[in-house]
This record gives sequence, structure tokens and C-alpha cells, in this order.
Amino acid sequence: MTRTVRWRSVLSSAALLGLAILAFGADHALSQATLVATYALAGLGVVVVVGQAGQIALGQAALVGLGAYTEALLVSASVPSLLAIPVAAATAAAGGALASLPARRLGGLYFGMSTLAFALIVEEALVRWEPVTRGAAGLAVPALQLAGQAVDAPASQALVSVAALIGAMLLCARLFDSRLGRAWRAVREDEVAADACGIDPVRAKLLAFVVGGALSGVAGALYAHWIGFISPEQFGLMFSFELLMLAFIGGAQRLAGAAWGALVIVAIPQAISVLRDALPGELARSAGLETVVFGAVIVAVVLLRPRGLAGGR
Amino acid sequence: MSLLLKLALAAGASVFLATVQAAPATPGVTDREIVVGTISDLSGPIALLGVPVRDGLLMRFDEANAAGGVHGRKIRLVVEDSGYDPKRAVLAARKLVQRDQAFAFIADMGTPVVMASMPVIVDAGRLHLFPFSPHESTYLPLHPLKFQNFAPYQTYMEAATRHMVQAHGYQRSCLLYQDDDYGLEVMKGVEAALGKLGRPLVDKTSYKRGATDLSSQVARLRGAGCDFVVLATVVRETVAAMSEARRIGWKVDMLVTASGYSAQTHELGGAAVEGLYGVSVLPHPYAEGANKQLADWIQRYRKRYGVDPNVWSVMGYTLADMFVHTAEAAGPQLTIDGFARTLEKFDFTRDYFGSPEYRFSPTDHLGNRYGRLAQIRNGKWELISDYLK
Repeated sequence: MTRTVRWRSVLSSAALLGLAILAFGADHALSQATLVATYALAGLGVVVVVGQAGQIALGQAALVGLGAYTEALLVSASVPSLLAIPVAAATAAAGGALASLPARRLGGLYFGMSTLAFALIVEEALVRWEPVTRGAAGLAVPALQLAGQAVDAPASQALVSVAALIGAMLLCARLFDSRLGRAWRAVREDEVAADACGIDPVRAKLLAFVVGGALSGVAGALYAHWIGFISPEQFGLMFSFELLMLAFIGGAQRLAGAAWGALVIVAIPQAISVLRDALPGELARSAGLETVVFGAVIVAVVLLRPRGLAGGR
Repeated sequence: MSLLLKLALAAGASVFLATVQAAPATPGVTDREIVVGTISDLSGPIALLGVPVRDGLLMRFDEANAAGGVHGRKIRLVVEDSGYDPKRAVLAARKLVQRDQAFAFIADMGTPVVMASMPVIVDAGRLHLFPFSPHESTYLPLHPLKFQNFAPYQTYMEAATRHMVQAHGYQRSCLLYQDDDYGLEVMKGVEAALGKLGRPLVDKTSYKRGATDLSSQVARLRGAGCDFVVLATVVRETVAAMSEARRIGWKVDMLVTASGYSAQTHELGGAAVEGLYGVSVLPHPYAEGANKQLADWIQRYRKRYGVDPNVWSVMGYTLADMFVHTAEAAGPQLTIDGFARTLEKFDFTRDYFGSPEYRFSPTDHLGNRYGRLAQIRNGKWELISDYLK
């Protein structure tokens, strides 16, 4: 990334945030920024697995859930957040490794189905392991504590999320440029050819899931603090599809795709909600109006930018 | 200066302006209006409940506005759709708090939604009124801004089960429950009731949310020799359980929670659900046999929305009615604290819907703990007891 492009990105992000504050109010806009960054972090996991390594991942939300539950349980056992977040990332990375095992024998859609099954198993385990997870009743999660301070204000939450996202993006940029990144792309383009070139496809896929899992785990840990309450149903298939949609809208093969996708997934429904208030009586009250308009926006984005918002025409 | 730099400077200025903007004395209250927010589910898995609740709320607020408002102020309900997604609920709460300056939140819907948005609301010093969530934290520990109207399943199912077992002399009580927090809450109530009577829960079996085939569960309960089955089910599963029991010729008494007390239960189940017992926390508004006030209300609802009201419409209307009466009693100088302290002293007597009495106090912010028994007779729910204490 050149210096000019980097500055342009920083300025455009600041401009977007400023406009959002003007439109929504400071706390509302900063809360959106928090969730956009957190979702983008989880979406980065999908970008690694789907966009870079070319694998179908239909259960990424389960890895976010593993991170969220690990964080919640450790924090409730008085483990400092700074220690708990790496453990959450490690747990989700281990989950990712486990989810990638069928890739040794399966490929394409069949492997995708196995990730779906993995997600169902994780969700079911979170429900059944009631003595630890409190089952379907869910867990309350306290505010994130950093340096003895509670991160509970919208501004500080946004700061932590954006910092985590920037750190993760820098790490991913290095990874994508490394030997491993090239191996992922080689496997994505042609697994047999990659194998013939001396790349171990099984290892490459395993590492993609480990890295993707760790990113989603960190996102899950932050999500748990921002939302303050987690239950197994929050990490179901709907969330997995939302993350997949996020990556494709943003551009699954681009690093910035996760951020653009998260912006669409999180912020567009809010913008629609604000615009709806300006509509006349009965139309404004139509049930599911946001969902319909959101669906139309998604279709438009896919038609006009088939390679994603970050991927060019 | 480049366009981007100009935009960034504008962003900085807007942050400054947003920070220094003065807040009104009481959020959401001006000389002309009171802003009330609700975070409902209008497009997600419980939209079937969310839409009629919202319609009931809107109808009552519009009636109050047509009658001149509350001390001259019109009530404006701002509805946000969470789609049962806690992330959207948090953002909706922030929008309602900051942009719309909501004075109070009413009838927020769904436990994950309520648990995620409630801290945002009460931390901003706004009222959190009557959410549709059985979670205890909606009224405990006592908080000056939190008020709940709906009893936890555990409380009223304990009374209902005890009453049924005592009245009918059942010896072998069993439970069929949904495998989630709802089912577990009901199980606690059933176990507590049987414990008080010194009787065991002979058998219990669960199903996963969304299941449509309950034949193995019904066969298991029949095999255990149950003579009474409590159903912690929703409409579809209630119909499935009763239909299966009747199909295999098992004439056992079943009692469903308020989640199965719906007109849809007998509309879908037909003859198979005849005789089913249910717990009602508010009666279904049948036009047939309605008193004059109720009949008029049903007519107004039909005229406005083009559909028949259901028990959820009544709930929305009742909650809005409680808000209107409390705001009126709080006087023309409406403040959040004044509203809350008025609500703590207010007794809501039973009305033409057949609602229970709702009573709050400075030490108790749960307005009602009781349900009453009903039974499906001749294709509709008939109330067969008063509120069970």
C-alpha cells in the first residue's frame, strides 16, 4: 500500500465517520463503528479461508462463538481481558483446525457441508454443556477491562475495535505477501497444480482455517463485551451466512473487502432505519421494510460490483 | 485543499458539535410531544408476535393523541425492528437514545435483544418498561428505571401445575419441553409445584426448537404411563403433540404454557386439540360473546388494520394504556423519575379485556405474577379459572 493510498483510506474513513456522526449522533455512530470493525475482524477470517485459500466455509460463526464463550468464561473467572483474548483466539484457532480436518478427504461443496456440520455441532455443544455455558439461557458478559479501566463508552469501544482491526489487517497483509499467502492462492487456483509445485495443500488449508479461526475468535471476544450477553443461537447458521455475505459484498479476495462488507452489513440497515423515519405514516410502519430495502441494496451491490466493493468491476 | 481533507475537517467539526449540543431537561419530552421507543421483531423469527404488539401500542397511543394527548403532549412511538438480532438491538437502542431522544422504551421484544439493549437504555437514564422477556434481570435486582409486567414462566406454571394436579388428582405427571431457556424455566416451575405436593415428575422429554415430528417423545411419555403432560411448547409443537397423542389413541390431559395459548392453536389443531388446557396471562379477544367495550375495541382494530386482533394485540394495547395513564398521573411536569415514582404507586385494576391487576411498589417492579387456566372447548379457548395465586 503506498503512502498516498494509505492517507486516502484514513481520510475517507474519517470523513465517513464524521458524516455518520452528523447523521446519527456521536454515540450511535461510534457504536456502529465498533460493530463494523468487529464484524470486519470476523469477516477477515472468511477472507482468509474463502478469498485466499478458496475453501467454502459455511460455519465461521461457530468460531466467533468459540471466541466469545472462551472470553466470557475466562473473564467471569477473573482472568484479565488481555490474557483472555489470546486464549479466545487460540480456542477458535483450534476449532478452525478441527473444522479443516475433513479437507484431507473432501473438497468443494462436500467440504463446505462438513463446515456446516461443524457449526451445528458447536452450537449444540454450547446448548448442552449447560453447567459451563448455562446452555440456552445465555451468559452475561461484563465490560472489557484494559489497564484497570472499563471499556464501556462508545468512543473507547470504537477505539479498541478499530485498533484490533488495523492490527489484524497489517498482520494479514504481511501473511498474504508471504510464502504462505502465495501457497493459499495457489491452492485456491488449482490444488493439483499447487501440489505438483511442492505446496502441501492440506497444510495450507489447515493454516488458513487456523488463521481465520484466530481472527474470528478475537472478533468473538470483543463482540461478547460489546453486546454484553451471549447465547448459542447468536452464533447459528444465520450469522455464518451473514459473514459469508459480508466477505462477498466487500470482496472476498481483498483485505479491504472485510471492512467494506461489514460497513454494508452493519451500517446500511441503520441508514435505512433513519431514512424510514422520514417516510409518511403507514409506509414508515410497514413491517420488515428495512429487510426488503436491505435485500435490494445487496442485490444491487452484487450486480454492479460482482467482485465486491473492494474488488473493482 | 483536497475534497477528502475538507470532508475530514467537516467530520472533526461535526464531532465537536455533537459533543457540545445541549441536552433537553427531560429527554424526549417537549411542550408538544413525548417520544417513546420500542425495539421489536417485525421481520425475524417472532415477527408474528411483534407486529400485533406494535399495532396494539400504536392504536392506543393514537387514541390518546386524538383525545388531546397527555397534558397536551402527543405521544410519538418510534419503532425499531431488531429482527431478533442483538447487534441491531444495540444500535437501535443507541439511535433511540441519542437521535430520537426517547423518554422511555416499551415492550422491547426477545431475551437476546432485551439483554443486549437494556444496559444501553438504563445507563442513558431512560425507562425500560414491560419487555417481552421472561428474564429475571428485567426487574431484579430492583432498579429505579426497570419495570416488568410479565411473570416468569416458572412462577405461573408452578401455580397452574399445582392447581391442575390438586383438582384432577393426577398421579403421574410428565413434561414435554423445548430444549432452551424457555423449556428450562417451565421445568423449574413444574418441579417446584410437584415438589410442594410431594409428587415426582415421572418423566420428561425434550425437543429441539423447530421440530415438527414429536411422535417419539409422545410414545415415550405414553410408555411412562403419564396421566398428565405439561407442554413447554409453542403453537406448532403443541398441535403436533396433541395430534400425535390423539392419533395413537392416547387420551391424556395436557396443559400448555401461555406461549401455546393462542387462537392459532385451535385454528391449526382443530378437533385434535379439543380439551387442551392452557395458561392465559391475558384472554384472547373473541368477538363472539365479547362485552360491549371489547366488541367496540375489536371493531376499531379490524377497521384500522383489516385483521382480527389477537392476544398479542391486546398486550400491546394494554401496555400503551398503562403508559398513558401513568404519564397523565405524573402531571404536566413530566420527568423520568416522576414517571417511575408514579408507576410505583399506581394500581391498574382489571379491565374489559379480562386482564389481571397490575401493581408495582417501590420495592417490587414486577407488576403481575399470575396466570389463569383456560381450555379449548368447541373450537375456542374458554377461561375456566380466575388468576391463580
